[in-house]
Amino acid sequence: MLDEKIKSIHSEFKKEISGADNQKIIDEIRIKYLSRNGLVSVLFEELKSAPKEEKPLLGKRLNELRNSVTLMFEEAKEKVDASEKFSEHKIDLSLNGIARSIGSKHVLTQTLDEIKNIFKGMGFSVALGPELESDYYNFEALNFPHDHPARDMQDTYFINDNFLLRTHTTPVQVRIMEKQEPPVRAIMPGRVYRNEAVSARSYCMFHQVDGIYVDTNVNFAELKATLVSFAKQFYGSELKYRFRPSFFPFTEPSAEMDITCFLCHGSGCKICKGSGWLEILGCGMVDPNVFKSVNYDSEKYTGYAFGMGIERIGLLKYGIDDIRIYFENDLRFLKQF
Amino acid sequence: MKVSLNWLKKYVNLDGIPVSEIIHTLTMSGLEVEEVIDQNEIFKNFVVGFVKEKTKHTNADKLSVCKVSNGTDELQVICGAPNVDAGQKIVFAQIGAVVPNGNFKITKAKIRGTESFGMICSESELEISDNHDGIMVLPADVKEGTPISEALELNDVILEIAITPNRPDALSHFGVARDLSALFQRELKLPEINFEESSEPIEKFAAVEILDEVNCPRYSSKVVVNITVKESPAWLKKAVQKIGMRPINNIVDATNFVMFETGQPLHAFDLNMLNGNKIVVKSTKEESQFTTLDSKIRKLPLNTLLICDAEKPVAVAGVMGGENSEVTTETKNILIESAFFNPSSIRKTAKALGLSTDASYRFERTTNAGGTVYAAERAAQLIAELGGGKVAKGTLDVYPKIIEMPVVTLRFARVEKLLGYFIQPEKIKNIVTSLGFEITDENENEIVVKVPLFRPDVEREVDVIEEVARINGYDNIPTIASFSVPLGVKNDDSSFYDKVRDTAVGLGFFEMINNPLQNEKIAALTGSQIGVLNPQSLDMAFLRTSLIPGALMVASKNFNVGEKNLALFEIGNTFNKKSEGNLIKEFSDFTEDTKLLFLLSGKASLKEWYSDEKNISFYNLKGFINSFITNLALDNVLNDSYYHSEDRIFNLVFTKEHNGSVIGKGGRIKKEVLKQFDIQQEVFCFEFDMKVLEKLSTSKTKYIPLLKYPKMMRDFAFIFDDDVEYNDVASFIKKKGGSLLKSVRLFDLFESESLGSGKKSMAFELEYYDENRTLTDEEVEKDFTNLITLVSGEFKAKLRGN
Ligand SMILES: [Zn+2]
Repeated sequence: MLDEKIKSIHSEFKKEISGADNQKIIDEIRIKYLSRNGLVSVLFEELKSAPKEEKPLLGKRLNELRNSVTLMFEEAKEKVDASEKFSEHKIDLSLNGIARSIGSKHVLTQTLDEIKNIFKGMGFSVALGPELESDYYNFEALNFPHDHPARDMQDTYFINDNFLLRTHTTPVQVRIMEKQEPPVRAIMPGRVYRNEAVSARSYCMFHQVDGIYVDTNVNFAELKATLVSFAKQFYGSELKYRFRPSFFPFTEPSAEMDITCFLCHGSGCKICKGSGWLEILGCGMVDPNVFKSVNYDSEKYTGYAFGMGIERIGLLKYGIDDIRIYFENDLRFLKQF
Repeated sequence: MKVSLNWLKKYVNLDGIPVSEIIHTLTMSGLEVEEVIDQNEIFKNFVVGFVKEKTKHTNADKLSVCKVSNGTDELQVICGAPNVDAGQKIVFAQIGAVVPNGNFKITKAKIRGTESFGMICSESELEISDNHDGIMVLPADVKEGTPISEALELNDVILEIAITPNRPDALSHFGVARDLSALFQRELKLPEINFEESSEPIEKFAAVEILDEVNCPRYSSKVVVNITVKESPAWLKKAVQKIGMRPINNIVDATNFVMFETGQPLHAFDLNMLNGNKIVVKSTKEESQFTTLDSKIRKLPLNTLLICDAEKPVAVAGVMGGENSEVTTETKNILIESAFFNPSSIRKTAKALGLSTDASYRFERTTNAGGTVYAAERAAQLIAELGGGKVAKGTLDVYPKIIEMPVVTLRFARVEKLLGYFIQPEKIKNIVTSLGFEITDENENEIVVKVPLFRPDVEREVDVIEEVARINGYDNIPTIASFSVPLGVKNDDSSFYDKVRDTAVGLGFFEMINNPLQNEKIAALTGSQIGVLNPQSLDMAFLRTSLIPGALMVASKNFNVGEKNLALFEIGNTFNKKSEGNLIKEFSDFTEDTKLLFLLSGKASLKEWYSDEKNISFYNLKGFINSFITNLALDNVLNDSYYHSEDRIFNLVFTKEHNGSVIGKGGRIKKEVLKQFDIQQEVFCFEFDMKVLEKLSTSKTKYIPLLKYPKMMRDFAFIFDDDVEYNDVASFIKKKGGSLLKSVRLFDLFESESLGSGKKSMAFELEYYDENRTLTDEEVEKDFTNLITLVSGEFKAKLRGN
């Protein structure tokens, strides 16, 4: 009985293996004959119930069967492997590759990352703060008195008399200084809100990076040097720059930094409104009134602060002509960066 | 603010300084010149022409054919104005001229078959008045060929300067001239008051009383009698036009002129309309109504500062005069108001009325309390000259409490400490005095200065340092070659967010940034929404309570433009009231959370030559979330739970939990929700609380030594009833499989007729190993065989394969 089976399986296997010319058939044969529940294994199970006197011989035959089948299988498999290798010239190399999709960070995040890295390289920490902010942190502590026209500089979304959507990330300066004695050296990126009609040029929110450095010997010359270094790392080492006096309630003296327009290189164009200059940031020496609100001694400590918008940089750098496109999140836009 | 260069030159000699240098220097001193209007440029190619001959156009009744001389040539010009005539001197726009009104260029043209070489202009075409009744006829004595800029004195340069809120003094020609005088070290010459007063004292005509001294610290006035209200002379009309105002009459134009000259807003009352010939300054004690001179009825809130006569209000102080006391052509006698009001009072009133005027704009920025009398006298002089009246003797100047000039000590060493470079004390002294500051005391280390009241922004030493830095030029502040960085712990609060972004990007997701302001219905979908008081529109009136609705809006927009396959993520803040209906008084009354959202929709794989099309399913979402969690090394920290039951947003729900609290939740968005966003295809979302994720992820990853011994693999397949869940089987196998079994993986799952109805097959691969030794076949076989029996028994499952 078992003997017969051994013979028939052997011949059946020989027939099948001779026709095996690809990996798929090879795999099927392996499963059929050589797997855990394959035909060969089953015979070994049956051996257990064979008459005692026949067992040694049948066992030997079975082992021979297994060895022979395994050997033939390996030979056939090698042949198939080799032939497939040999037929490599049949692969159409011009077919599209099998792609793996990868996403991307929003262009504003990428810009912010670049700015962050430059300032981290210059020894700045990175701090965050809330967007729903109190009037105190957003205005009062930053030397914007109530009923002062300086408040008109930043159109504000109010939640009520005491709470608002922050109009700048500058309140985080106050929050850091409240918690920490000088030296303080940090940048504060984040989202800010302005109550302006939405148009191609303005949106109800944008992103800002503020910075501050307070210590015993910080001066305007160092502020200039730091920001010039930043601008050259970010915009290119060839740029020309200038600092103009300006006004921010939380700095005194205050300045705005312009760089040469990188579209017209200073000769004047539409982007720079003919001036040849592009304003890139506001800055100044921290106003003593801000130090007063965080209990720093303004005789002992001096500091500088600066702030810049992120969206504007992209408008200039990538030629984006409508600020709203940043926040529409059209996949066709997102995929470009 | 518009500033005329010719006007400035009356107060400071700018001879020999090119206009471009003036502009640059102003900008670099903080008075940023935003726009330059050069009339010489505008009126290039416009000359005085002489009409030698006029004949009718043969093909058009209303057109004339003129021979015009430009001084050198005679040109044929077609003109449509009825008042054109031979012998007139006219404004001739030659070929190449650009007509200001309409901004079109004159070219050679053929009109009804006749050639025309230029244009004869009207005043409105030149934009020098609204008059478009025919062409402008010039005096006969101007020579043909003279440039129009010269003939009409349109040779000014108008500068549009952006004045920052700290510089109310620069909202006047005096102020700008003062800066120029300091910047170029040229003398400032302000006009001297010089007029004849009548013998009748002002007290005979009027009286002034201040009842609210807090909001009106000073009220000065002059009276001019027997004036004639009429059109202003050409020079005055031109002057007010240059700075963007419309000429009205000699009185109004004169007060405006003085306001733009000195920065002091003035108001002229018709004295005969003032009951009791009296001015009373007081605040309203109740809400009331008042008609301003623009004929609008205004609602006045409580505590509005008013100018009244003996009986009634006649002006909203500092904002706008009343119709009832306005100067008209009938006016004979006027009272000129030149006051100093409390800036915040004027600002409140202007805001309440929604009315910003040139006057209120200056008052709310603080005007010069020391300059009221000068301005009143200056206006009186001008009005008397223009209107032929007589100035009453003396000034009514009610000034109950003299405002002292701030006294500030400036230490030279402090200048150097703050700016980082040394400026010679002589230079510092020169700068402050040229700005009108008075040095009252000095020694080798410091000076003491008295700050004039027209500079309300200067109160402290640091403010004076800014003035010094500004006038000396920021360009002169050096940059340093290196700086020291304080050591100490450097934190990056955003580093975890960066890591999360990198992981999401690696998983194929695109980052979006959404507007957190949305409409109430959308915001209310996912939480307890907080509104803004003053939204731009109802669609942007509430803060998002979750990132899901914003993401669904984005998905909808993308589907509409044909982008049907989306893998998006966002990190952003959400805002929720702690309890419904409560007011926000403290930070503790609301939560601001940072959330992370994933959105998936469309195809998981596209039909390609190597793959079949597959829709994104719940399992794609789950797989991505688990890969994400594994990348953050949180796979052993978080537990999953699932339920089919619906909630507000999802109907297949999947959560990530830590110690029993949900830190992330997602699933398939319900159809009813999708409908609100006009979405037809399935969408899957998952939202995490970033703060909690960040906290959990700070636990350090531990290194596990690599396995030195071989693994042994076994596999089996069972037929189960189809209500048996994978996770129950896998957990059972893990639990009962023995200590050598290290992992279980489902590698096949199917239902088919051959299995019988209500049955399914699950095939598992099992991994056995020991960290310390090589396993033997026998011991693995023993555990494996035992496990087969246990699984069959527990789940009434049948082993497949025989
Ligand atoms: Zn440019």
